[in-house]
Amino acid sequence: MTYEEILEKLRGLMKAASQEAIDWDTIADTAAIETLGFDSLTILDLIYDIQQAFDLEFDAEELIDVRTVGELATFLQERLA
Amino acid sequence: MNGLTIRHGLEYGALRVLLCLIDSLPPAASGWLIRRAADLWYGLDGSRRRVAIENIQRSGVAAGPRTAKTLARESFRHFGMVVLESLTSARVFNCENWREKVQIDLPPETEALLNDPNRGMIVVSGHLGNWEIAAQLVSHWKPVVGVTRPMNNPYVERLVQRRKPQNNFRLTPKHDANALRFLGDLKRGDILALLIDQHAGRHGVQIDFFGSPASTHTTPAMLHLVTKAPLVFGVCIRTGPMSYRFKASEPIVHPPTGDRESDVRAIMDRINDLLERAIREHPGQYLWGHRRWRE
Repeated sequence: MTYEEILEKLRGLMKAASQEAIDWDTIADTAAIETLGFDSLTILDLIYDIQQAFDLEFDAEELIDVRTVGELATFLQERLA
Repeated sequence: MNGLTIRHGLEYGALRVLLCLIDSLPPAASGWLIRRAADLWYGLDGSRRRVAIENIQRSGVAAGPRTAKTLARESFRHFGMVVLESLTSARVFNCENWREKVQIDLPPETEALLNDPNRGMIVVSGHLGNWEIAAQLVSHWKPVVGVTRPMNNPYVERLVQRRKPQNNFRLTPKHDANALRFLGDLKRGDILALLIDQHAGRHGVQIDFFGSPASTHTTPAMLHLVTKAPLVFGVCIRTGPMSYRFKASEPIVHPPTGDRESDVRAIMDRINDLLERAIREHPGQYLWGHRRWRE
């Protein structure tokens, strides 16, 4: 899966879990996740959806240092490799 | 000074007076005083009293209206003792003596998890027994992070926080800007402690509680599903003055199936069932005055 494909899939998952009305097509990979309308509840929903959609087993705690959408996509790309 | 601030000031002043009395009286006398104050509260706060009686009748734990009223009064008194004993526990419990003062009833798997400093855990409970003491006691095993909603009165909140033992027990707000902070707590091997029986409003899912749907927080289930951290239900039942029995379940294990809502429901159903059973055993020690069911 390419970085761009991961990014596209991520945008869809974030759109479903976020509480903010955002134009997700314009979200760059430098966007900080904390600005995209997630709180302590919806961020857990998002992590669950990512684990299931990408069929990945990873420790959610590994995401603590992930700050941007691009960093999240890179994290997933490394796990999928 | 606006009306809200005056009210906050009056509540703060009343609590300061109460704490002075508690600190100067022998424990038995302060217990008597708190129970009389709870009786007064029961008599004066008609709205809260009605909620408590209605909840007891709705849950079916009372045989009839008279028993429901008796239980409601007992619940008010118990809540008074929860406050009193939580605020004075630092004088009684310390690292050396706490195991002598608390009966501990744990399955071997749960005890092993508590004794492992590297395993984060999610411990859930309800407003049953003394949940404050429960968190303080569990913090003698490993650090506890209590997930709470701050009190409406910031002066009272600060005063109460100053009185609590600070060593291995800290509080964190339910909502703040750092949405991933719970994951860090679990990674460090801490215990995340959550109470699951408050009305969750539009954020919750409808889960049966005593046979009626109640909006329920999903956080414990979601944390378990995404981190795989062990999830345990525990209660600390009051058996006498400053005496307790701490009881916990075996770890609840529920691997994610891909259906988030169904997974959450399965876990929260299980936890609600454990809480219901514990309440049925000790109905007088439950906080019935909370509006758990809202249409």
